[in-house]
Amino acid sequence: MKHFKETLYDAVAQEFRIDKLYFESKTDHQHLMIFHNALLGRVMTLDGIVQTTEADEFIYHEMMTHVPMFAHGSANRVLIIGGGDGGMLREVLKHPVEQVTQVEIDQAVVDMAKAYLPNHSAGAYDDPRLNLVIGDGMDFVRDSGEQFDVIISDSTDPIGPGEALFTENFYSHAKQRLTTGGILATQNGVPIFQPDELITTGKRMSPHFEDMGFYCAPVPTYYGGFMAFSWGTDNTALRHTDITTLQARIAQTALKTKYYNAAIHQACFALPQYMIDTLNKAS
Amino acid sequence: MDDNRRILIGATPQQASSWQALVEEFGSPLLVFDPEVLKKQYLDLLHALPGVELYYAVKAHPNTQIVQALDELESGFDVASAGEMDMLMDLKISGRRTIHTHPVKKDKEIRSALRFGATTFVVDNLDELKKLVPYRDRIGVLLRVTFRNQQAVVDLSRKFGCDAGEVAGIITAAEQLGLHIKGLSFHVGSQCNDASSHVEAIERCRQLMQEVNLSCSTPLSTLDIGGGFPADYTLSGLDIESFCAPIRKALDKLPEDIHLLAEPGRFLIAPAVISITTVTGKSSRNGIFWYYLDDGVYGSYSGQIFDHASYPLQVLREGETRRSILAGPTCDSIDVVAEDIQLPELDIGDLVIGHQMGAYTAATKTRFNLLPDASFICLA
Repeated sequence: MKHFKETLYDAVAQEFRIDKLYFESKTDHQHLMIFHNALLGRVMTLDGIVQTTEADEFIYHEMMTHVPMFAHGSANRVLIIGGGDGGMLREVLKHPVEQVTQVEIDQAVVDMAKAYLPNHSAGAYDDPRLNLVIGDGMDFVRDSGEQFDVIISDSTDPIGPGEALFTENFYSHAKQRLTTGGILATQNGVPIFQPDELITTGKRMSPHFEDMGFYCAPVPTYYGGFMAFSWGTDNTALRHTDITTLQARIAQTALKTKYYNAAIHQACFALPQYMIDTLNKAS
Repeated sequence: MDDNRRILIGATPQQASSWQALVEEFGSPLLVFDPEVLKKQYLDLLHALPGVELYYAVKAHPNTQIVQALDELESGFDVASAGEMDMLMDLKISGRRTIHTHPVKKDKEIRSALRFGATTFVVDNLDELKKLVPYRDRIGVLLRVTFRNQQAVVDLSRKFGCDAGEVAGIITAAEQLGLHIKGLSFHVGSQCNDASSHVEAIERCRQLMQEVNLSCSTPLSTLDIGGGFPADYTLSGLDIESFCAPIRKALDKLPEDIHLLAEPGRFLIAPAVISITTVTGKSSRNGIFWYYLDDGVYGSYSGQIFDHASYPLQVLREGETRRSILAGPTCDSIDVVAEDIQLPELDIGDLVIGHQMGAYTAATKTRFNLLPDASFICLA
């Protein structure tokens, strides 16, 4: 195959030229590819859907990490569910955390990402603060007794291996794994084309948190404009963290980012009207 | 009596020696696939149906070498099960080039199809439509309509399809469920003698689409004309170009921007595969010669039971003919390939060739008696 055509939607498809195929595996009814594209750099696809590209992964990873981390302000223990490519881990480790636990279902994804998407993890897998658990994220939040200040669910789409991470069961158990005032953030699709995902997550997650909602950022290769991230915490003040506090926290970590900054942080909680309407129509 | 079956007596020395050489090299029984024949069938049909995208019905012969040959021709694929999708995935064929056409699906099947990348689904009733609601943001749906056809050998319109009168109601219900029905599909049945059923169905669909598009928010834009393109089981020189002429005429009346699909299986693959079996035993009873072959109706000839096909048979030997019966290798008395045919007297070790044996032959073979399958050989 010299071109990758996404199979996410019947009516439209984005097509990427495969300039060099680095890796392809078809195991357990799962089709994974890593290839190079002149415009996008290295691209990883799973089951015909774009997972991450070097050109725009920073938007996704920075926004899923730094928004909950800086809103929290003193997160020491962080749990990443999924995120096998290592991009999320890389961003989390930029914070002065004590420990990061990453629960990835497939060791092969980690190995493959280290070998063929090395810029994503950028050495993060060698950090001594990492506790890498190869296992099912759903089982982990149910069975582990540990507590975390921030939990980030960096999952695939709801149809596929990440299915369990979109269930009410997952949200309720993840809540049990949070310290008081802890934050759960999850990737939640592109609402303009996937309104059902927004509605479903809203319904399933909101009963478990005092403050549950969404924030957004546009990730160009997730075709469809804004991607939504869910936000769940019992500390209702966190979403209103003021800009000077954020600026101070950012300055303290000497963080260099390409998308995230304090103003973006504050602005990302403003939802476009179509998302508000979708959520209102459903309730 | 086996009145309609073509029997060919004798073969050119070149034919005979090439078949004998195959058996010497690969043993017997065999199914011998010639990709060049498949390629010609595909290009002939493409030419006979300009503007129609062809989706090979994988069920006709779910074989990797056949699928690969069609992949090289950039064919699409019509799939009906997770097993068929797994096979295509192993061959790195994108789900984008497939349509899922089984009208009845389990939820697990729908999810597998989406992971594979098939996003077009076929339904024929409201209950089936409701199964697709959780996936409505991603998919396109074809509504299968039925127009009963008495003439087709296998009448597919009996088991599946909604009546034309139900179409408007189902489309309205789909809109209310937030599902997009993008077009209609039909199957006139298999092995049609002429294109009159296709023409009638296209005309009825044209009218239906016109009516529906007046009232619906998203227009029907796709027409899947199914299969039914015949194999030449009588070896009488089928001309697909003229078979399809009335279909082309009917399609010309459709709006130019309509997407046209077809799901040929039999026409493409039937002539591209022959069966080679060997006489392994013989006896003469009540003046009739019985020959026992190493393949039969539980194996490559299963289409004679399930598909009501009667394949042309050829023996290499010439001479005075006698009343003969060709029987398969199993212990069952139903395992008879051809009854009451006139053949020269055969010897043990003689070859019997079955022609037009690519479609619905190996696809429906059984494991009865645990006899070995015919080996599948692809001519380079």
